Formats: sequence, structure tokens, C-alpha cells
Amino acid sequence: MSEQFKPNIVAFLCNWCTYAGADLAGTSRIQYPANVKIIRVMCSGRVNPLYVVNALQQGADGVLISGCHPGDCHYMEGNFYARRRLKLLKELLEFTGVDPRRFNMSWVSASEGHKWKEVVEKAVEDAIAAGPFDQFRRRQIGW
Amino acid sequence: MSAMLLHKEKWSEFTGKLSGKNLWAPVVQGEMKKFAPVAEGDPVNLEEGNTTVPPKALLFPQTETLYRFSAGGEELELPEADEEIILLGVRPCDARAIALVENLFRWDFDDPYYLKRRELTTLIGLACNEPELNCFCPSVGGSPASTEGLDILLTDLGESYLLETITDKGKALAEECKDLLEEAPAGAVEQKEKLAQDALGKIKWSVDPEGIPEALPQLWEDPLWGRVSAPCLGCGICTYLCPTCYCFDIQDEIEGSAGRRCRMWDSCMFAEYTKHTSGHNPRPTRRERTRNRINHKYSYFVDKFGVIACVGCGRCSTLCPVNIDLIDILRQVKAAQ
Amino acid sequence: MDLNQLRKVAAEVVSRDDVKYLIGWRRGTFGYRVAPYFVEDAAGVDELIFSPLCISNLATYLTLVEKLPVPRGQEPDKRKVALLVKGCDSRAVAQLLVEKGVKREEIVVVGLPCPGMIDRDLLAEKYPETDKAAELRWNGEDFLLVGEGEDIVIPRAEVLAEKCRLCRHPNPVLSDITVGEPVKPWAAADDSGVAEIEAKGAAERWDYWEEQFSKCVRCYSCKSACPLCYCEDCILDRLDPIWVNRAVNFSENTAFHLARAFHLAGRCVECGECERVCPAGIPLGKLNRKLAQTVREEYGFEPGLDPEAEPFQASYKPDDPEEFIL
Repeated sequence: MSEQFKPNIVAFLCNWCTYAGADLAGTSRIQYPANVKIIRVMCSGRVNPLYVVNALQQGADGVLISGCHPGDCHYMEGNFYARRRLKLLKELLEFTGVDPRRFNMSWVSASEGHKWKEVVEKAVEDAIAAGPFDQFRRRQIGW
Repeated sequence: MSAMLLHKEKWSEFTGKLSGKNLWAPVVQGEMKKFAPVAEGDPVNLEEGNTTVPPKALLFPQTETLYRFSAGGEELELPEADEEIILLGVRPCDARAIALVENLFRWDFDDPYYLKRRELTTLIGLACNEPELNCFCPSVGGSPASTEGLDILLTDLGESYLLETITDKGKALAEECKDLLEEAPAGAVEQKEKLAQDALGKIKWSVDPEGIPEALPQLWEDPLWGRVSAPCLGCGICTYLCPTCYCFDIQDEIEGSAGRRCRMWDSCMFAEYTKHTSGHNPRPTRRERTRNRINHKYSYFVDKFGVIACVGCGRCSTLCPVNIDLIDILRQVKAAQ
Repeated sequence: MDLNQLRKVAAEVVSRDDVKYLIGWRRGTFGYRVAPYFVEDAAGVDELIFSPLCISNLATYLTLVEKLPVPRGQEPDKRKVALLVKGCDSRAVAQLLVEKGVKREEIVVVGLPCPGMIDRDLLAEKYPETDKAAELRWNGEDFLLVGEGEDIVIPRAEVLAEKCRLCRHPNPVLSDITVGEPVKPWAAADDSGVAEIEAKGAAERWDYWEEQFSKCVRCYSCKSACPLCYCEDCILDRLDPIWVNRAVNFSENTAFHLARAFHLAGRCVECGECERVCPAGIPLGKLNRKLAQTVREEYGFEPGLDPEAEPFQASYKPDDPEEFIL
């Protein structure tokens, strides 16, 4: 895959853990790839699977969802629901021919700035390996 | 109208010649039959009956960009002009439907999108020697060899096709292919007439529409509507795949600061079709929606344009997953009169 | 199946004061068609049938019937709705009960053990439909096309519907009244079509579904016919915010089908209605079966078997699989 390809990755981060973890990575001056566009949501359980589908339709090459570790959810159980749902979504996307490397999910707590860096690096590496994802774009709109 | 003969040996040459001019013909994709572009050298097979999606989809696309816009932009961008298109193997009922629907697009306002495309389209029909199970075109004023709406009509005579030109557009096209055509021998036209007569005899369903347009308004509250609509699932099969249904919705699709306004098929069988912003729905149940579908075809359109908006292709009856059968409804209407 | 017994039971049910109507099947207007039939009084039961053509799932009608506002001063009609169910249909009812889509006290379930249904298209390929409504019966393992002169035996394997080949629950999982003797479940085929697609590479899978989804005309018959697609305000119809554009093109069609399949994950009872009604012949059942298989194999859950179960996507276990999470 060409070195030039800079994937677009949409990341849905839970407000309480991963978003704070990404913040910590920033304040700790941890360097990580700038390919992720972060969207803050209140909980990973709030991520509607259609968000993922829609991101891919609008040109994302990969999607990353990250929340609190099991048991640490601010809302007690939101991430448990997310885990079930997104597992099914991952299977469904894979079944329809979407490269599984385009979909990543992680647990990153507020204190894991370093883990956030590793997760982003992995997601970017995966998306680069999977290549640009153009097939699913809204194309007839033509702007 | 002039008649010529196209030998089947010359068929692939004929379609090859047309394929350079944006030719579309019926193709089979699994269970679905639809019109698709024919590239040079592709075989064209007219054996299949009516397409699942009627050719109206090419004149009145399911989704059509009316114009594009962007935030801060002064100008609207119109879609690129369409190109000429030839539809080969259009069944007479579908061609007749195109002629009927034109009434609407010319009604109180000349629809530039539709009419432009209509002008660019040449319709080459194929007479139905073997009508399908649910055909009933003669009941609603058509026939298996009707030329209404067509530019050229082909009739399969076995070894060859009889090619009759109907409009100037058709004549011009036949002129371009004249080295492939020969004079129709004596008797060919008579043979075609006989085939058309035989085809009429093979049609199984019939209903006399006499009196139905007048009866429908009287039967507004008749229990028959509750009865026939009870199994309805409220899907869009009967309307989307009907060659004379033309309802559309206009929506804006926006992404970022740009967007497009587009027109897309809509169906009176959907609850959202008549739903008001307030939440009130004047056609609240499938009973009213089914009643509207029949009334529109057999009464309102007749009032407005003097012709029944049904061509008897039988798609609604064949494709309905719960056996809501138009002929059955019409018979019930007649019985309730 | 003893039709007289079925009609007798149906007549008793519809004659009850607390029953509004019974939903069953009757012979269609032509060919191999069968129409859903709403029986309102005992006189109507004579048209009721149960034959190998009664493939449609009547549980759809439990949630499809529009409830209009009751005029002031009038009481809502609280009578029950009775319906005939096969094994798969009863699972849809059970799942509706799990989700509280219908209440147990609102329905009377008449269970019919099902020896397997015919795929109309397969049958019509061999014996084309005519303008006369044909009669079919079960004949031991096989089917019998009742002819005007001679009856034709049609071997089971030739025309059995796909969902029936894969069926593991031919007997109703719940019913108030059962008509007929339970059938012995047969060895379900395992060629659900899922493994075949999984064996392809990602690009090939994408091409396969691209071809399929491109055929979609978005008539919404798949979601209309599905007994478990009954949200009053469907996310796929919503215009503000618009989740899936109404435009019909490959991208939006794919989004639509992913959303439809996903919303049935852990809920689909594999009754096959979506696939049966699709005028474009899109193999929607494969999407549903893929997710059902994942739910069954990785979570040990099968929807529509226990009306008291917890809804799959609205519950969790602390030790759910998470090997895919970084």
C-alpha cells in the first residue's frame, strides 16, 4: 500500500473514559497519528450501529469505538450493551464484505493515555492495510 | 405505418448496431427481470415476459436529481443533459402506460425533466404472442399488439420479426438499419394480425370496466374495502412496480454545505404518504390507502384524463405477496354496485 | 391435516365473545396463491385452509393492524385476536411477547404442527401456475398436487421451502389450542448459505452483496412483511434526522439492508418472510441467518423459544465474548 494513503478514521469515544484518556495523551504530549477524527459521545452504549454505517458511507476508511473497561461504565452497564451490539455489527459488516480491519473497538480508561496511543496506531495501521474505502460512498450525490 | 421484415439471422447485427446508440433491453438477474444497458456483442433475449420493474423507471427514474446547490452559492447547478436512449422489447402494455402517464406530466405544467427524457427515448415494442398468466390488457383498452406509445413494433413471426414503424422517430431508426431489413412479403401483416388475434384468445382474465369509474365514488364506505385491504402488508410492490403509478416525493439531500434536490418515487400504500406534520393522517389505515389506489386508477384519472390508469399488465396481482388481486377487487366492486 | 377439525376449532374460537376475529389462510384467487384470511364469524370458517402453501407468517398482522383513536365516549375494542401459527410463526409470537409488542391476554394462539411448506417458485418451475387456484396436500413425506383428473405426487426434496429445510422447530413453541398431532422434527439441513458466503474473500463478498443490493427497489416489503419489524416510528422512514437517504442507489440500499438486518439481530426467528416477499429476489435470509448463527453459537441464545426470555440486545452477560476488543 502506498505511503501516501492517509486514512480517515472516525472515532466514537465515551465521555468518561476514552475521551479523558485521549485528553491525557494530549496533555502528556504523547505523539500519535493524526488520522482519527474524534466524536465524543456520552457512552459507548450510545453508539448507534448506524453511526458506523453512516461514517463509512460518508467516506471514513475505518471506524474506532472506545469506551470504559467492563465494570467501569459511568452508567454501570452501557459498555456491556455496546459490546454485544458492536460484536454483531462487526460480524455483519464482515459478512457483507467490509474488511474487518476497518472496524476496531477498544477499552481505554481515563488514565491510559499510552494505551490510547497504541489503539490509534493499531487502527491506523489496520486502515492503511485495508486501503481506501471508496466503494460504499454516497456517490450519486456528486458534489 | 410501414412494415418490413427483420430476419432472425440478422438479429445480433441489428442489436449490435443499436447498442452503439445506448440500447437497453430486458435482462434477467436471478428472480428479477429489468431493463439494463446492452453493450456491443451482448446477446439480447426477448423470450422473457414482462420485466419486474417496468420501463417507466427509465423515463421517470426512481431517484432523479432536479438540481444541486451549495451554501453561499448563487447558482443552482442543473443535472447534465440525458442522452438518447433506445428501449428494445417493451411490451405493448408498458408502452401504453408511458403514453398514459404523459397525460400527467403534461397536465397543468409541462414537466421539463420527464418530457425531455421522453423526447430522447425511442421505444421498440414486442407484440405479446404469449400473454402471461395475469394479463388482462383487452379489458382496459389495450391489446397484445397495441402500438400506443411505441415508435416501432416488432412481432415474432417465427423465422423473422415483422418490423412496423409507427412514428417518425421509428421511421428514422428503421431507415438507419435499412440494410438489415427487407420488404415484408405479402401475407406477413396478415400473419401478424392472426398472431395478435390468437394472443387475445390466450388471455385468461377479464373484467368489464364499464360502470366502474361511476360506481367507485358510490362505494366509498362499502365494507368491501375493509375486506380487500385486510391482508395488505402496506409495502410498495403494487405501486412501485406498476407501469402507470407516478407518485413522487421531493427531498433534499444535504452533506456538509452542499446538497441536491431530488425527486423520488413514493407510494400511496405507505402510511407516510399522506401523513401531515401534525401527525394527523387523512388516510389512517390500509383500508383508505387501498381504496385510494383503486380509485385513483379507475376513477380519479378517468375524471381528469378520460382514460383508466391501468394497462392490465397484471404485475400488482402477480407480485403481491398476500394475493391481493386487482381483478378480484374489480369484480367485487362490480358486485357491490 | 384434518381441515374439518381445524374449522371446528376455529368456529368455536370465533364464536367466543372475547374474540374479535381469527386470522388464518384461505385459497388464493389463482395458481398456488394463498391469502391471509380474517374470519369474523363461525360461518366464515368454511373457507379456512391449512395446506403446504400456507407459508406466510400471520403473526405480522398482530402489530400491523392500525389502532385508530377511539371517539370520545366509546370504549376501545378489547377483544382478543386469534391466529393460526406454524412452528416458525409461533416463535415470532413468542418474540413479540418478549418485547411486549403484544400482550399475552390480547391473543389466542391456535397452534398447527407443520410438516413443511412448499416454495411456490420451485413448484411453479415444474408445474406452472394456472388461472385456477390449485390445491395441495401433504402426502406422507411428500406433497400432493390435487389435479382435475389425476393427483401428482411431488417429492419433498424438490419443492420444500428453504426455511423449512433449515427448520428446527416445526411444532409451535406456544399455543392455547393445538390442532393435530405434533410432527417429528426432521434433520435440519445445514446449508444455510452462510458458510458458502463466509468462504469467499472480502472483496468477493462485497461484490456478491453489491449485485444483490443494487437490485433493491426499496419497496419496503421486507420490513412490511416481517412480524418483528413493527416500530411505529421506523428509523428507516424518518426524515429528521434522516438516517438512510430515500435515494435508491447502491450506497443507500446497502445502508438500508445493514440496518434492517442489524435491527433483527438476536430477534429474527427465521420465518423467511422477508426473502419470500422480496420482488427482486435478494437473499435477505442469509443476512438474518448469519446473525442468528452468531447469536446462537457465541451467546448460546435462540430468540422466540421462551416468551419469558430477556431481549437479546437489551441484556448482557458479564462474560460475553470480547476477543475482538483491543
